[in-house]
Amino acid sequence: MTEQNVVTNKGMVRAEFNFWVGKYMDKFYDNLENKKIVGNMCPKCSDVFVPPRQVCGKCNEKIPLDQNWVDLPDTGTLKNYTITKWKVTERGSRKVKDSVIGMVQIDGSNTAIIYKLSNIDPAEVKTGMKVKIEWNDKTKGEPGDIKGFVKA
Amino acid sequence: MDKVGIVGYYYMKMSPDLIYGRYNLIFETVRGALDSVNLKKKDITTVISATNDYYDGRTISNAYCVEPAGAYLADESKAEMDGAFAAQYGLMRILSGNHKLAVVWGGSTPSCYPYDSAQLYQTDPTFERPTALVNNITAGGFQMRAYMEKYGVSAEDIAKVAVKNRKNAAKNPLANPEAQNANITVDDVLKSDILSDPVTELMYAAPCDGLAAILLAPEKQALKITDEPVWIKGVGSNQDPYYLGDRDLSECKSMEMAAKMAFDGAGITAKDVDFAEIFEQYAHEELILAEAIGLAEKGKANELNSEINGDIPINPSGGAIAGHAPFATGLMRIIEAVKQLQGKADGYQVKDPKVAIATGQIGFCAQNNILYVLEKGGN
Repeated sequence: MTEQNVVTNKGMVRAEFNFWVGKYMDKFYDNLENKKIVGNMCPKCSDVFVPPRQVCGKCNEKIPLDQNWVDLPDTGTLKNYTITKWKVTERGSRKVKDSVIGMVQIDGSNTAIIYKLSNIDPAEVKTGMKVKIEWNDKTKGEPGDIKGFVKA
Repeated sequence: MDKVGIVGYYYMKMSPDLIYGRYNLIFETVRGALDSVNLKKKDITTVISATNDYYDGRTISNAYCVEPAGAYLADESKAEMDGAFAAQYGLMRILSGNHKLAVVWGGSTPSCYPYDSAQLYQTDPTFERPTALVNNITAGGFQMRAYMEKYGVSAEDIAKVAVKNRKNAAKNPLANPEAQNANITVDDVLKSDILSDPVTELMYAAPCDGLAAILLAPEKQALKITDEPVWIKGVGSNQDPYYLGDRDLSECKSMEMAAKMAFDGAGITAKDVDFAEIFEQYAHEELILAEAIGLAEKGKANELNSEINGDIPINPSGGAIAGHAPFATGLMRIIEAVKQLQGKADGYQVKDPKVAIATGQIGFCAQNNILYVLEKGGN
C-alpha cells in the first residue's frame, strides 16, 4: 500500500447553520441578558428544567409556553466535574492551564448545566460544593452570558 | 423470533492511519465477508451500512458506497449509528421474509478528521455547543467521576480493566498496534497523560481506522451457506435522555433495559452467558455496562474475574480499547463473539463457549445501547 496522496477539502463552501432557538429559549435568553435565570416545571412530575423545555421527556408532557415558569437564583450545587488541559474544539491542542468543567444544578431545578469553574484551585474542587454564577459584564442574551461558576 | 444466522464476517487489521482510500477499504471489507463463505455479489439481496455523513466527509454518504459495498442496483439503506444498530436493521430486513442475504458493514477512518473535537457537534447547538465544553473526552471524565464517587471504586480498579483489555489486544492479531501491550501495568495506565480527569489516555478507547462487515441469513439459507452459523437469539436496544445533566452517569439505565429485552427474547438470564464482548469507550464504562447487563451488582463489576480464562470473560478480544473504529466497533464486538463461538479466536480463545453477548452503543457516555444474545450453531 503506497497510496499517500491527500486531497484536503477546506473552505470550499460557507455552510454555517443558524439555529432558531425557539420560544422557550427566547424567554430564557431574554432573562439571561438581564442576569436572571428562569426555568420551567413539568405539570405532571414537577421537575424543573434549566434551560426551559417544551416537553418533559420522562412524562412526554407539554409544558405550556405561558405557564409553569419558575424564577431561580444564580446559585447551585456542583454535581460533577472534570479537569482537562485539552481544548475541546481542537484535540491535539493543549492549554497551559487546567480547565475545571462543572455540572451545576441550579438551586430549585432538577437538571444540571455545564460551565467552567473559575478562580478555584483544582485541588479544592469537590462534588457537592455550593457555587454561584459569575456573569459577564456585558450580557447579550446568549449562553456565554454565564461566564462560569465560582465558589459561593 | 425466527432464527437468523450470522454466516460470514470480515474485518481488516486496525491502524491509527490505514493510508488507504475509503472506497477501497469498503470494497475489501465487504468482499472479505463474502469470500469468507464463498458467496458473490449476486447472492446479496440487501445492504445496510453504518456510517456518518460528517465522518465520511460528504452528505448522504452511503450514496458513494453503492459500488464497493456490493449494493449496485440492490436494496440498500443506512443507519447513522454504530454498526451494531445497522445489524439490527439488517436483522429486521431478513425477518421481513423478503431477503436471503444481508450485508451489514460499517466503519470510518478518523485519520482523516478530528474525531474527538467533532463530538462537540453532538451537543445542543442552541445552548451547550457555543460554550464548547463537552466532547467525548470531557463526557468520559464526568462519567468516570460519577461512577467512582457513587460506589467508591478506585482509579486502580478502573486501570485494571485497561490493563486487561490492552493485554488481550496483544493477543488479538487484528487489534490497533498502538493498543497492543502485553507488558502494561496498572501504574502505566494511571501515570499516562490525563485526558480529562480522572480519565487517562490508556483508559480511553482511542479512535483508529477500521471497517467491519457481517453477513446475515434466514435459518434455511444460513445452513446452506455454512455448517457453523451463529444464531441471533435475542436483541434489545434502548436510549437514555439526551442531556448529560439529566442523567445519573454512574449507571446505564438504557443498557439495563436493552439487556432485559434481549435476555427475555432469548429466554435466558445474564447467568447463562459464557462470555461478553462489550463496546466500552473507556475502561470504567466496561464496568458500568457489565453491571447494567446484570453480570455484576452495581459497583461490584471490578470484583469479577473477567480474564480470558476467568469466571465471566469480558472482552477477550481487548474490546473497543483494542481499537475503536467508529461505526465498526459494535460490529467488531459481534464478530469477535462469533469467532469465539466458532472456536476460531486463536490465541485468545475462551474455553468452549455456547452463549455470548455482544453490545454496541452510540452517544455521549453510552446514551444509546444495543445488546445481542448469540448462540453457537452447527456441531
